[in-house]
Amino acid sequence: MRFSKIIPFLLNNLIWFLLLGVIIFFGLTTDNFLAPNNFANILFNASVLGVLVIGQSFTLLTGNFDLSAESTLGLCGLLGVWLITSAGAPRYGSGWMLPPILSILVILVIGMLIGWLNGVLITKLKVNNFVVTLAMLITIRGLTLLINNGQTAYSISDEYNWLGMGKLGSVPVPVVVLLLFFVVAHIITTYTPFGRELYSIGANRNAALASGVKPDRRIIQVYMISGLLAAFAGWMLSARLTNAMSSMGKGMIFEVFAAAVIGGISLKGGQGSLIGALGGVLLLTTIGAGLNLMDVSVYWIQAIRGLIILVAMLIEAQKVRYIAPTAIASRTAPTPLASGPTSGETHVHSN
Amino acid sequence: MRITKGAVLPRLFDNLIWILLLAAVATFSLSSDRFLTADNLTNILIHSSVLGIMVIGQSFTLITGNFDLSAESSLGLIAVGGAFLLTAAGEPSNGSGLQLNPILTIVVMLGVGLVIGWINGFLITHLKMNNFIVTLSMLIIVRGLAFLITQGKTVTNLPESFKALGHESIGPFPISVVVVLVAFLLAYIVTRYTRFGRDLYAIGGNRDAALASGIDPDRRIRQVYLISGAMAALAAWIELGRLGVGATRIGEGMIFEIQAAAVIGGISLFGGRGTMIGALGGVLLLSSIDSGLNLMRVSGFAIDMVRGIVILLAMLIDAQKARYKGPSTASTVIATQLKARTG
Amino acid sequence: MSDAISAQPFMVEMRKITKDFPGVRALTDIDFRLQPGELRGLVGKNGAGKSTLMNVLTGVYPSDSGEIVVRGKAYTRMTTTISRQLGIACVHQHSQLVPPLSIAENVFCGNLPTTKLGLVDWAKIHRETDERLKRLGLDIDGLRKVEGLSVAERQIIEIAKALFADAEVIILDEATAPLPKNEVEMLFNFVRRQRERGVAFIYISHYLEEIFELCDTVTVMKDGRNIGDFKVADLTQPDLIRLISGSEVELFKHAARTVNGKVMLNIQGLNRPGAYNHLDLTIRKGEIIGLTGLEGCGKDALARGLFGLEPMGEGQVLLEGKPYRASDPRAALNHGVAYLPRDRHGFGIVGLRSIRENITLPIISRLANRLGFIATTKETELVSQLIRKLNVKTTSMNQAVQFLSGGNQQKVVFAKLASVNPRVLLLDEPTQGVDVQAKTEILKIVDQLSLEGVAVVVISEEIRELLDTCDRILVMFKGQIVAEFQTGDPATTVEHILNAVEGTAQPR
Repeated sequence: MRFSKIIPFLLNNLIWFLLLGVIIFFGLTTDNFLAPNNFANILFNASVLGVLVIGQSFTLLTGNFDLSAESTLGLCGLLGVWLITSAGAPRYGSGWMLPPILSILVILVIGMLIGWLNGVLITKLKVNNFVVTLAMLITIRGLTLLINNGQTAYSISDEYNWLGMGKLGSVPVPVVVLLLFFVVAHIITTYTPFGRELYSIGANRNAALASGVKPDRRIIQVYMISGLLAAFAGWMLSARLTNAMSSMGKGMIFEVFAAAVIGGISLKGGQGSLIGALGGVLLLTTIGAGLNLMDVSVYWIQAIRGLIILVAMLIEAQKVRYIAPTAIASRTAPTPLASGPTSGETHVHSN
Repeated sequence: MRITKGAVLPRLFDNLIWILLLAAVATFSLSSDRFLTADNLTNILIHSSVLGIMVIGQSFTLITGNFDLSAESSLGLIAVGGAFLLTAAGEPSNGSGLQLNPILTIVVMLGVGLVIGWINGFLITHLKMNNFIVTLSMLIIVRGLAFLITQGKTVTNLPESFKALGHESIGPFPISVVVVLVAFLLAYIVTRYTRFGRDLYAIGGNRDAALASGIDPDRRIRQVYLISGAMAALAAWIELGRLGVGATRIGEGMIFEIQAAAVIGGISLFGGRGTMIGALGGVLLLSSIDSGLNLMRVSGFAIDMVRGIVILLAMLIDAQKARYKGPSTASTVIATQLKARTG
Repeated sequence: MSDAISAQPFMVEMRKITKDFPGVRALTDIDFRLQPGELRGLVGKNGAGKSTLMNVLTGVYPSDSGEIVVRGKAYTRMTTTISRQLGIACVHQHSQLVPPLSIAENVFCGNLPTTKLGLVDWAKIHRETDERLKRLGLDIDGLRKVEGLSVAERQIIEIAKALFADAEVIILDEATAPLPKNEVEMLFNFVRRQRERGVAFIYISHYLEEIFELCDTVTVMKDGRNIGDFKVADLTQPDLIRLISGSEVELFKHAARTVNGKVMLNIQGLNRPGAYNHLDLTIRKGEIIGLTGLEGCGKDALARGLFGLEPMGEGQVLLEGKPYRASDPRAALNHGVAYLPRDRHGFGIVGLRSIRENITLPIISRLANRLGFIATTKETELVSQLIRKLNVKTTSMNQAVQFLSGGNQQKVVFAKLASVNPRVLLLDEPTQGVDVQAKTEILKIVDQLSLEGVAVVVISEEIRELLDTCDRILVMFKGQIVAEFQTGDPATTVEHILNAVEGTAQPR
């Protein structure tokens, strides 16, 4: 490979080089980082974040986003536990004692409904997506607090907790879910007509429309996917904790965005891959785990994470200088309609 | 070509926030005797103070078409950092042991706010990074630093003189209320009556036009981030006085409320629109709903939900505004869409 | 006043201006003189150098040689600052106003007067704006927000703003922004009044009738040269057209035919208020018809209506004898009705994505196998076939479309349309914004598609091009089809068609 090609190559796969660099660093500085057990642990810790990132990435690809995902996680996680447990102390559930499978179905449907509502408000009523999902974030968090008066509900159902505590062979279920979901999401976005359409909507919604894509329908669908996965992540988190607090997932949306963006998903839509997003999730989680092993105070970990996001984005921002500068020129200064230097006609009449 | 004054609908839309506020006040006064009492109104204002100051800082950035997600973390870091400097080491105070002079502490707090704002502005204007990414990263970093300072412990035993801003009164008026009202008034004057303020609107409304008129957008953007940082410092001072302790989680999740108040008050997320007085309306509306629902003995947990719904409704109405205002033919709609796409 | 060649002192004189861009000579030895109070038209095709010349005058681009003399003082290196100080201003279509702010504030933007306290003096701003607007003969409320103004009103405000800054030469770069008739009047009246005060205007427009209506003199540019300065009174419109196009090399000549095939599209009494009225139109299999007319005559609205981007309206449309309706583009494409938009960047290409993805976007769900995955081999085959057929120049089908030249981008859009195996192709200005070679190729593609049995409608204002490519040309005027020409008929000339376009011909 010629040298001039190395920099673009590095920059295009930045997330994996960063991940590799981080792993090497921790491998050298700590004793047990490279233990298989530790990797499994990292994946385990990445699972809830990862599932949320998948949902968010779907909306991001279309040039949208879903702030409400963290609240949906909270509501559905709480409801999932609440519906299956006894009322009052010590478990603070609804007392309805629903079968776990039914409860899970209910929360997945609720997640999808929230997504549907987001999508409809954005596409049909033309309310700004930031405002819609922000209002939804607040509303749903309120609803979550309301349901159980802020009480933590405890789950003792093994069936329900299986998603967080169970193992398939020796592999924890969340790890399987994480990898499986990412593979499926990657396949959907890359190898199906649906995925293609999402990218085209994010890159140029009007052109997609004129090519027979139905942007509104697709956008509603991605919000439903986001809601569904947020609900699923809620189940996963509450199953892992075997309890559900009404503040579950609070503030998590920032980490979700950070992981997606650091993994190369463009905030402007139409660019990035789910595998890259997985890289983003793994990077953030690995840093957390590595610093933990180094006995770095948990309080440093957060700060260092933020710093790494910033640095990665700084590199990303410089990327444009090395890769196809013309692309940037054409993006920041679009050719005015029909007045390019070579367009050659004269309108021979006026109106 | 002269426009007819009037046209009721646009007027209503322009004053939406006050109509909503009036409606909220009317509803709550009817359903609770205690809502329209001096005590309660003062209470509403006290509860508005920290949010209000934060909204001012955020609105400055919003008017230029930017925003500052990191503001909530700045509030937290500066609050806990300030408390740390002021107090004795070890249990029960958990401070630094420096027991710094309150005035010096306030200077340091302000300095920290300005530094955070400066970094944001520098990264956005000099290194041309996306403002979302920059302020999101700062949000995480700064919150991390807040935890780091006290290892997550809450700092107590703040000196009384320092807390005055948050819980003393001048005559019948709580100092924090006076401060927030004066701050809004000043912010209004700055945005309405100074060249600096008008530059911000021009930048948010059409950056290229502002540039062509001799305005330096980058410089102004750096300045609004400085203001945002400074406001976080002021808010931190009030919050410490009000709570009496410095907790690392101060301000966590507050950014949503801040932006909601600004937006519901008519400050556009796309820049160039809205007034500080409107933003004050947004703050008051959110606080009134809190207070009113509280008095109606609605569960504290339902309040958040009602808030979200009110914001959504207000935005829904706002989204319909375009239909009644100005020439909006299909072609201009398409043109604006194109602009949005390529911009 | 209108004598461009008189001995009066020149306000602006550009001498022997030459400007090179990498690989292209944009301007060659241009002389350009302007007198006080002159209304000068500047015409020429896109790429003829009009905008470059004006950019040299305003100092946006430095010229490589030559000098600019303003009021007797020569400048070899003009800058934007100097040109502004000299009172040269340019009003672009890309507005330099701030929409959410009032007219008054826009007028003073960047230089707001303040009181002794350092606060913005709104009373003064409003008073002075009103006074100044009145002095210019404008009855506009300075408190109005710019976003509520019409396009012409905004331009007037921009001119006013330039005048307030003591501009004496104002360039109106209208390139592609046509105004509604009544607004044109408003703008022109304003311009005429200002010229009485000695302000000179340079008016760049593609709409020649506007030049005849407004200007005293006109400068014609072609290929970076000044063909000549003329008094408008000495010219007719066909003269000017000839000057602009020159002795043009024929790009491509389609053998005009009388097509007698099956009727492909039969439109009966199609009506959409505000767009088109009771249209009757028949297009046969393999036929190419040209559809022309003034901006706003309904020709492009018809295409968007048929394609489902806008409501189609009432009336009957038969596609190969079966009733046809398109509620959205998807429905139209499913029926084999494809549309090439005029606005390539807005509606044509998905620039960030690859050639492959662009081409197969409309048929992507059909490319899925039984499991729902895209059959990649099949897709690759199809795409490479279309790339070859349409001669898209690229190293890889996975290249992002935004990196291609304008002509190649347009070919990608054609390839996309071809992928749906269309029965009817609606092409809105298909050769706009592409170079000569690509233009020729595109016209060949259209010809080829028609030979394969596609019914093609070419919507264009390029009458000469339509004559060379179409079998029939229909002219629309105010929403109706007013004339039809057989291109094979030797009696059909550009002038005939132009008369119909301007609404002066007998209805058919």
